[in-house]
Amino acid sequence: MILLNIKKGFDLKIEGTPLPELAELNKPSFVAFLPEIIPFIKPKLLVEQGDRVRIGSALFIDKRNPDIKFLSPGSGKIEKINYGSRRVIKEIVIKLDNKEESVEFDVKKFSGNKKYSRDDIIKTMMDGGIWPFIRELPFRDIAVPDYMPQALIVSLDNKEPFQPDPQVYLKEEINLFKTGISILKNLAENVYVHTSKEFINIDMTDNLVTHRFSGSYPADDPGVLLHHIRKDPSENRAWYINGQDVLLLGSFFSTGRYPVKRTVALAGSLAKKRMYFKTRIGVPINDLIEGRIADENKARLVAGGIFRGYTASRESFLGFYETSLALLPEGEKSETFGFLRAGYDRPSYSKTFLSYFNRLPLTIDCSLHGEERACVNCGACAKVCPVDILPQFAFKSIAAADIEESLSHGMLDCVECGLCSYVCTSKIDLCGFFKSAKQVYYKDKV
Amino acid sequence: MLFGKIKKAFDKNRQHFQDGGKLKSIYPLFEALEAFFFTPANITKEVPHVRDSIDLKRFMSFVVIALLPTFFFGIYNAGYQSNLISGFSLDFRAAFSKGLLIVLPLVFVSYAVGFFWEILFASIRKHKISEGFLVTGLLFPMILPPTVPLWQAALGISFGVVIGKEIFGGTGRNILNPALTGRAFLFFAYPAKMTGDSVWTVVGRLKEQSVDIISGATPLAVSALAGTGENIEALLAQKGYSFLRLFTGTYPGSIGETSAMLCIAGALFLMVAGIASYRIILGGILGVLSTGYLLNMVAGESSAAWLSINPFYHLVMGGFAFGISFMATDPVSAPGMENVKWVYGFAIGVLTVLIRVFNPAYSEGVMMAILFMNLFAPLLDYVEIKLRLKKRVPNV
Repeated sequence: MILLNIKKGFDLKIEGTPLPELAELNKPSFVAFLPEIIPFIKPKLLVEQGDRVRIGSALFIDKRNPDIKFLSPGSGKIEKINYGSRRVIKEIVIKLDNKEESVEFDVKKFSGNKKYSRDDIIKTMMDGGIWPFIRELPFRDIAVPDYMPQALIVSLDNKEPFQPDPQVYLKEEINLFKTGISILKNLAENVYVHTSKEFINIDMTDNLVTHRFSGSYPADDPGVLLHHIRKDPSENRAWYINGQDVLLLGSFFSTGRYPVKRTVALAGSLAKKRMYFKTRIGVPINDLIEGRIADENKARLVAGGIFRGYTASRESFLGFYETSLALLPEGEKSETFGFLRAGYDRPSYSKTFLSYFNRLPLTIDCSLHGEERACVNCGACAKVCPVDILPQFAFKSIAAADIEESLSHGMLDCVECGLCSYVCTSKIDLCGFFKSAKQVYYKDKV
Repeated sequence: MLFGKIKKAFDKNRQHFQDGGKLKSIYPLFEALEAFFFTPANITKEVPHVRDSIDLKRFMSFVVIALLPTFFFGIYNAGYQSNLISGFSLDFRAAFSKGLLIVLPLVFVSYAVGFFWEILFASIRKHKISEGFLVTGLLFPMILPPTVPLWQAALGISFGVVIGKEIFGGTGRNILNPALTGRAFLFFAYPAKMTGDSVWTVVGRLKEQSVDIISGATPLAVSALAGTGENIEALLAQKGYSFLRLFTGTYPGSIGETSAMLCIAGALFLMVAGIASYRIILGGILGVLSTGYLLNMVAGESSAAWLSINPFYHLVMGGFAFGISFMATDPVSAPGMENVKWVYGFAIGVLTVLIRVFNPAYSEGVMMAILFMNLFAPLLDYVEIKLRLKKRVPNV
């Protein structure tokens, strides 16, 4: 095992962390698939309203690679398909029946401890709809199957506030995890399992963990690990998968059925109950928060992490990748002489508030706490950037559309953690610059 | 409630400044005033959903707070020196109120004229008014001699804001420190009012005999006039400038610069808060001391007296302490990379001493040193960034 000391990053002292309690959520009446929030894909629908589907029936494919399929997380009838602006497919809603019928996939050939054909595994994973869980750095798109990466990184931690704790979702599921890892070993030269020092081995007698780090958010990110261990540009195109998705992989290969089980964290200062729920992919947001939200009119529902997730509406559903829902106060109120407060309860990366001496977790709302200004080169962003980018200089080269300069600054190494935007004194969305520049570059390239 | 009333007043008058209103062209002024009283209720639109509590207003307010002790001491000292030379009462209240009369008009002119330009540029460019000027507007009068005519102060701050900052695109894009640019302009345009022995003290209505007793020469001027082989420390002591007095600051000079002690206090505050770079400040002090000692070593019997002065005197005389604490650490005109901040600070220290010692025409070296190094800051950044990017594993 390799120990890493990751110095940069920042842990938010935020109130609302879920307790490690796990409860079964009642079976929802609807589930949905949300193609819109899966980056880069060009969905082509295979179903229409009124069709009957089983768990594992294909709902749509990605036009860029028609072998990549996205399957139904429920058995029942397609209730409706919601489109957004420009006919983008927002939601495919499925009304669940009681049968829980499932498509059976042939996975028997992968039992036992022999080495399998890589192409065979990939084909099965694509048919079984679990290929999209494997994604590729640096663009974080779904992995391109005919590439053999140097490393496949399994991130097994929750440094981003309110993400599910692996010790909760791995409990009693460790065998599925092991199965998943053994399958993954066929896909890349190396499989790295990456977690923090504090993480306790739950019955991991096989020594699955290869890297342990000490550090703050986002030290658990695969991109951060890669930045610290790579020696050569050929390693840049690493693959990664989230720890909880490995369970789905394991489950798929042990049962032959499309796995839909999810452990979802409900958290945030406006959540009355902060805990974990056993539920399924595409669960309605309403089912999660009903009776568990403190002040609904003032709450923002953030799916998938407060640094990287998206704002969800109550009527919507949890996405394919998302495993947490945070309820944060919007914070839409102005404040008299806000900039002169002593600020014992104002969380800040800077040392300009008394909260520096406050160890308690604090309520953080979605206020910008100021207005956007020109960059004054204070350098806070470079102090937190986990992959040693100099955001205060790099964002200018991006703004000037100097692509060569931006690339040499390590634009593609950006792990999109959002910390530079978080700490910015001038309220500049630095991370947004990197994200959109990466997307434009990727689309130009492909 | 008072603030409730203020809020109502803002809400009532907002229409005049918005589209269709008579005062639409100066909306940035309205907006800046409102944001001063009430932190706006902006919320994040997308990721990251949460943002830090700090904003530029707080950042700049911290610099203003750090300046306040020096500022109040400057007021007191300006009055004290004036009363001393004019033969008036030297008790604290008399000195402080005299100082207020001298300093407040300058501060008022600096802020009023400077904000005029800020508002003008912000209105034309449809920008927001940046908080950077809160600091510039206070720094500028503090580095002026107390006798400077108000119209010159107005001209200086105009030059500083317009040429030093706005023509480059405003706050964040300036190459030079605006306050120092303004001062340098006055220094070259009106040397009679910026140099010499008579500009450092406001002379009131004279009582008999008082002028002959105390000369208005600053410690730097005294040192510059020392003949070969003379001991500057002794000469200064003879004029009443003991090291302790130079450190505490009760001597004639620019309004805010004299008290090294309070500058250190302000600098410590800013360094602890993480706003001023300790690298620049320590680098500057190291630069002064090492150059000072080096000159001590080469000094011979027949060399100029300046060469053999105890290097610590350089730290407490003139504007070095003020300049390195509050002007050199301006993040916009200083380099942004951490390692070259040492180089930048060090070079300012070195240049300050060299200008003082080898160029008697400019007895004050720190202003030129900082402006000169401001010009080199982008180059220093460039070098460090290039070196650092070379170490990256490329990812294209």
